[in-house]
Amino acid sequence: MGKMKKLFRYENIGILFVFPAFLYMLIFVGYPIIRNIILSFQDVNAGNLVKGTKNFILFDNYMELFSDNVFRSSLSNTLRYTVLCLVFQFIIGFALALFFNRKFTLAKPIRGILLVPWMIPVTVTALMFKLLFATDIGVINYLLRSLHLIDTNVEWLTTPGTAMFALICANVWIGIPFNMILISTGLTTIPGELYESASIDGANKVQTFFRITLPLLKPTVESVLVLGFIYTFKVYDLVYVMTSGGPVNSTHMLSTYSYKLSFEMFKYSKGSAVANVLLLILLVVGMSYIKITTEGEEK
Amino acid sequence: MDGEKRLSRRNNIILCIISLFILCLLLFPLYWALITSLKMEREIFQNPPTFYPHILNLQSYAAQVETGDFNMFRSFANSFLISLGATVIAVLLAVPASYGIARYYFKGRKFMLLAFLVTQMLPVSVLLTPMFIMFKNMHVYNTWIAAMLADATIGIPFSILILKNYFASIPKDLEEAAYLDGCNRFTAFGRILIPIARPGVMVCAIFSFLYAWGDLAYGMTFILDQEKRPITAGIFNFMGQYGTKWSYLTAFAVVTIIPVALIFIFMQKYIVSGMTSGAVKG
Repeated sequence: MGKMKKLFRYENIGILFVFPAFLYMLIFVGYPIIRNIILSFQDVNAGNLVKGTKNFILFDNYMELFSDNVFRSSLSNTLRYTVLCLVFQFIIGFALALFFNRKFTLAKPIRGILLVPWMIPVTVTALMFKLLFATDIGVINYLLRSLHLIDTNVEWLTTPGTAMFALICANVWIGIPFNMILISTGLTTIPGELYESASIDGANKVQTFFRITLPLLKPTVESVLVLGFIYTFKVYDLVYVMTSGGPVNSTHMLSTYSYKLSFEMFKYSKGSAVANVLLLILLVVGMSYIKITTEGEEK
Repeated sequence: MDGEKRLSRRNNIILCIISLFILCLLLFPLYWALITSLKMEREIFQNPPTFYPHILNLQSYAAQVETGDFNMFRSFANSFLISLGATVIAVLLAVPASYGIARYYFKGRKFMLLAFLVTQMLPVSVLLTPMFIMFKNMHVYNTWIAAMLADATIGIPFSILILKNYFASIPKDLEEAAYLDGCNRFTAFGRILIPIARPGVMVCAIFSFLYAWGDLAYGMTFILDQEKRPITAGIFNFMGQYGTKWSYLTAFAVVTIIPVALIFIFMQKYIVSGMTSGAVKG
């Protein structure tokens, strides 16, 4: 221990290694966050964005949001979308993790291939689901027609209620591999002897699942859900490409509404205010994630 | 759950068949996009739809090379350059940083670690407008550099958090031996530690590349000219212009997936490692 201490006496030399990355993030992330907060208290439009004086109007932008119906529906859309996506991708991902945990010949290769949807650029995923949900040539309408569940084609992406459904389907498709692989990894950490002794004690499969698997997976489940919440809640590309918030603003999320305000309506300050609301919610949820990841990290 | 038990031959076959069925079901959207890109426009609109191209049509790919307002191979090259640049920035900065965090307990270490963790959960919406102003002032707006600089901010924190664990798992004795052999802290880091942590560096490079490759918001907001934009923005633009030209659109999608598919085929073990170690253990 003494020798170790001598060798690593100059602990602060570590700063030299970290500093370049930290500086980079400070310039390109830290400063923009502060700048965005300032922007949200100002009155900035296309005329005075880069040059020119910016007047401070303090909380006016935020006050305006309270009476803004699109903002309120964006907030509730984002919450509804996130919760529904989480529920489905978690249940399906969990089921697949349990299934592929059995040692059959194709288990590992196929579980590997199933990760592909997670890696594909979201813009492409959005395009593929737009094609599947297309009104006249969409394969989903074709299947429903063949099963006699519908008589006429559903206009999935241009009808308020069903557009949200299509978005959730696409997002669940992306989220399943993520949930599956994290839970699979969690399952491998449960010692096999536990299951052996449980079966000796006469526990059935359901009991084993609720008494052993689930409790021991708690840390994994927690981080899967919190991370899933964060990734889903800040969704941008998928919604922007599939519906752009439409029809009639029915699928706007906080992120897409913020983008629309800033870069289509040039109300930069109001857009920043929406983005800050989004950030605040993410930070509150993220704190629990940070608590999970830093527990046991610092000795 | 019954993982440890050996499966009977019959059960093995049943499970394999079920798993193949799951595979087909989940990868159907990809298959559908691929075959649509190979169909004639007329066949795409045929009812009932055909589940494989009856007449093979490569026109959607060929036409893009020559004609069109811009061609997809150009935006492919743009994406490639932007992603490569972002990857280089991320790896060059993250490798030393993660080593510093793993090995030295300096003042402010905890704060920096926390800062990197928080940046991972930031929504792009918060950064877009300020970055937009900043890039305009730096005179890099409407260039690849703007997208590179912005994309690297996704790769850096992710890479640091992953690599930190790799460096922490390397025994300190190895480093001490290097010092005895006359290395200083910097040469030991370069000659001994980086080569050992190579798999970790690969994970970081791959994920930084994939994040940049998949980016739409930065490429679309910070680059104005279509001929400089990345392929994701190209697809989005194309959708706006030729919304129902599905053979071209899906050809575009297939080309965008090619690098992802190659990475998956040749570097699959790094993908699993990146997805799991990055998420569960910050």
